[in-house]
Amino acid sequence: MKERAIQLTINGTAMNLTVPVHQTLLDTLREQLGFTDTKYGCGTGECGACTVIVDDKDSLCSCMALAATMNGRSITTSAGLAFDGLNAVQQAFIDQTAVQCGYCTPGMVVKSTSLLRKNPNPTEEEIRKELEGNICRCTGYDSIVKAVQQAAKSFPETDAKWDNAVEVKAGVNA
Amino acid sequence: MSQFAVIGKNVPKVDAYEKVTGQPIYAADLKMQGMLYGKIVRCMDYAHARVTRLDFSEALKLPGVVKVLGPEDVTQNTYNTGACDEMVSDKVGDLLGDLKDQTIFTRHVRHQGDAICGVIATSEEIAERAAAKVIVEYEPLNVFMTPSEAEADGVLQLHPDKPNNQAFQLPEAMFPGNSYGWGDADDAMKEADLIVEDSFYVNKQKQCQMEPHAYIAQVDGRGRLNCWSSGQMPKITHLKIARLFDLPMSKVKIHSTTIGGGFGARLGIISEPETCAMALAVPGRPVKVQTLREEDWIISESRHAGDYWMRLGFKKDGTPVACQARFKANTGAYFTHASGVPFTTGAWLSGMYKFGALGYQGESYFSNQAPAGAYRGYGNPQTNFVLEQLIDRALNKLEIDPVQWRLDWHKGVGDDGWCFGVKYPSCQLSECLRQGADAIEWNKKSDELKNQTGVKRRGIGVSVMNHTSGATPMLLEHTVCTVMMNEDGSAVVSVACSDLGQGSHTVLQQIAAEALGLEMDEVHLKTGDSDANGFDIGSHASRTTYVGGNAIMEACDDVKKQLLERATRHLDTTVDNLEFAGKTIFAKNNPENSITVAKICHLGVYNYMDPETGEPEGAPGQIFGFSSHFSKHNSPPFGACFVEVEIDTETGEIDLLELVHTHDIGRTLHPAMAEGQMVGGAQQGIGMALTEEIYYDEQGLALNSSFTDYKMYGSSDMPKMKVILVEDPDPHGPYGAKSVGEAGLTSPVGAIANAVYNALGIQFKEAPITPEKVLKAIKENGLSFS
Ligand code: FES
Ligand code: FES
Repeated sequence: MKERAIQLTINGTAMNLTVPVHQTLLDTLREQLGFTDTKYGCGTGECGACTVIVDDKDSLCSCMALAATMNGRSITTSAGLAFDGLNAVQQAFIDQTAVQCGYCTPGMVVKSTSLLRKNPNPTEEEIRKELEGNICRCTGYDSIVKAVQQAAKSFPETDAKWDNAVEVKAGVNA
Repeated sequence: MSQFAVIGKNVPKVDAYEKVTGQPIYAADLKMQGMLYGKIVRCMDYAHARVTRLDFSEALKLPGVVKVLGPEDVTQNTYNTGACDEMVSDKVGDLLGDLKDQTIFTRHVRHQGDAICGVIATSEEIAERAAAKVIVEYEPLNVFMTPSEAEADGVLQLHPDKPNNQAFQLPEAMFPGNSYGWGDADDAMKEADLIVEDSFYVNKQKQCQMEPHAYIAQVDGRGRLNCWSSGQMPKITHLKIARLFDLPMSKVKIHSTTIGGGFGARLGIISEPETCAMALAVPGRPVKVQTLREEDWIISESRHAGDYWMRLGFKKDGTPVACQARFKANTGAYFTHASGVPFTTGAWLSGMYKFGALGYQGESYFSNQAPAGAYRGYGNPQTNFVLEQLIDRALNKLEIDPVQWRLDWHKGVGDDGWCFGVKYPSCQLSECLRQGADAIEWNKKSDELKNQTGVKRRGIGVSVMNHTSGATPMLLEHTVCTVMMNEDGSAVVSVACSDLGQGSHTVLQQIAAEALGLEMDEVHLKTGDSDANGFDIGSHASRTTYVGGNAIMEACDDVKKQLLERATRHLDTTVDNLEFAGKTIFAKNNPENSITVAKICHLGVYNYMDPETGEPEGAPGQIFGFSSHFSKHNSPPFGACFVEVEIDTETGEIDLLELVHTHDIGRTLHPAMAEGQMVGGAQQGIGMALTEEIYYDEQGLALNSSFTDYKMYGSSDMPKMKVILVEDPDPHGPYGAKSVGEAGLTSPVGAIANAVYNALGIQFKEAPITPEKVLKAIKENGLSFS
């Protein structure tokens, strides 16, 4: 099995990893490193349950990216957004009861945060458009849209970001 | 001010903090020391075949493969993945002809995805590679996919006891004439001035819960079989697994993991049998079976598709004189819910309107489709699609307003509900209809829409429904609850009720807190542990808040009784003279004379002798409340849905402009969660009406097992939604609550179809109403819009 050494910063911690070249970022996160807050919903880029933030802004379906191609990138999962307390999106999801079974929630929270970082004042239409790739079978989306609208009111002040990586954890995978 | 402290408040969901940070543990998230990985080898190329050769030798050569189990290497006991067989008495089960017709692995493939054997390996990847190396050869058999194909001459009978592949028919012994209803519908129909009649097809819809099924099982050092399952009926799973493997229930433990959506998909069991069989083959080692999404589509149960014929008769003034109907459900490859769904489909029909006479025949047929089972609504949306359209067809001819007719003829308080002899104790459907009609501006729009021009046509539609709060008296409704009072007066409430995401754990905790006069934080709900929790039938039939809530209230009453008893000793008075004020009990004739609940609980546990008197300080013993609650009622909720659509007659596209969803909820325990059920339910009802169906090719292989090919309404597709909860506390529900879980899905189905009818003047007899069908129907009807 071919492997590659990469450096990934995950939720603020830089890690040196060796990953099989065909391993998806989702599998690296979940299976290799135990970041199970990123979910498997389809494995084919159709549901958004596996969404992560790359380099603080853009979102990505981690089931569609090979970890080996992510060398040097910084990855944020829903657990990583709760830096010093919940971020505004997470709090708003609670306030608006936008959480039912919770399986889509980490991906939704991450995707919504990415949206607000790029566009802090989205219209309802823009929010709905941006969330199209994230399926929720429970809520019917209304409460989620309301949560993003609530969060937008206090963005970006309540959105904590990890500063640059503080330490390099060696041999996590060694 | 509300008379309640926590009931009716939008308290934060108990699991929301965990969920927004991704902490809850779903089965797939679990990783254990020494864990092995199981992969089920499934027949993907045939829908009906016999296995002629099964060869594991190549698979076993792969390093890392621990074992491969074939059909003969596991228990030969049979089972039913559904739950209905456990929810009726054996006698009724015999009359219904319920079957346990499933085996862990099979040599007779009855549908695409049937399980052939199981590979156990040290990694998921090795298990997958080994599964691909298992050699299976098949002899294809003739495929039959529909009830009419199934009953044709010369078709292989799937079960020896079921001639013509008819899995179920309402049994003569319980339903004379194999018919459910009242009066003589044939006779009554003769009195009709207008008869409308048609045959419909209702679609095979998939629950599409976002968490694909995953399981872990392990035989531990004491020889106990542990199974981590996301089933929505953990106690039924417990019983079924113990029985399947001939183990005492004490030797089986079900660990309920967080449930990533259910909607019926997790009602009963799914791949627990395969996973446990693998674990039993490698004692000590945990075995994890992760289902891929594409597997999930074809192995777990769906909604029952079927052919639905109906005939309705009316007097000129709209009086509904008779209703006759026959539903031939497609149960797919195994029996599962073959008896339950065809019954309830007719039950909801019987519960809706005051027809002079009604006769319904319900049947189900085997086929080589993936098994059908429980899906939110359980027969109700099928009836809604057919009944509500035919009603509107008749009203159109009679020139009667659809809202007014429904106001005049819906059943209500005192009428027989969906189960005869069980009367409706409460009903606010009229109010739902009135408020919904106002909200969508029914009268104004009805007039406006009469004279339309242009290629885009708008229409409005209404539909009503009745549902249930638990399945009493058809099925067992039983929940056990214990309430342990901690030494500081806080409480641990133990129930096996599951939370599929709808928020039942939050609501049940609210009910307990309210009943005990405690804060939400002073109550902990202990669930998910088959050793600790007493019996609960499981989450189905919109019953958890209603039956589970009442069980909790009973156990809390038991606690309060014991507290009062103890207080009489402390306060030296009688029970009649005592009253609760929050967490304190005081004497009515002297409010100064009081004691806190905390003190009673503390003294009950830390019970010492008074050194001076030699008497115990207070009454000894920790307080436990208990109930083993059998629900005597089912308080059906009602609802009315109003929809406005705009149809592009050139493309066939149906744009949902607005959906007003009203619901007769009894009392709302948590407004935001109740609304969430209605909006989320609507998303699925819209899907049934407009976009969702599993399609098969001629060989019986599924064509659209992915989220791209199976189209669900997404965030941008959803209409403007308004939810109206009409409150009128029900006499039997906990704090007056009735159910809200399944109802939200049901009435949008008929309302959308009726709005389409209103827009185009065409009724669609096959769900879902896709743009292709719209264009075809416009053409066939020779219509042109400009
Ligand atoms: S798991 Fe990645 S998009 Fe579904
Ligand atoms: S909350 Fe269940 S899928 Fe969104």
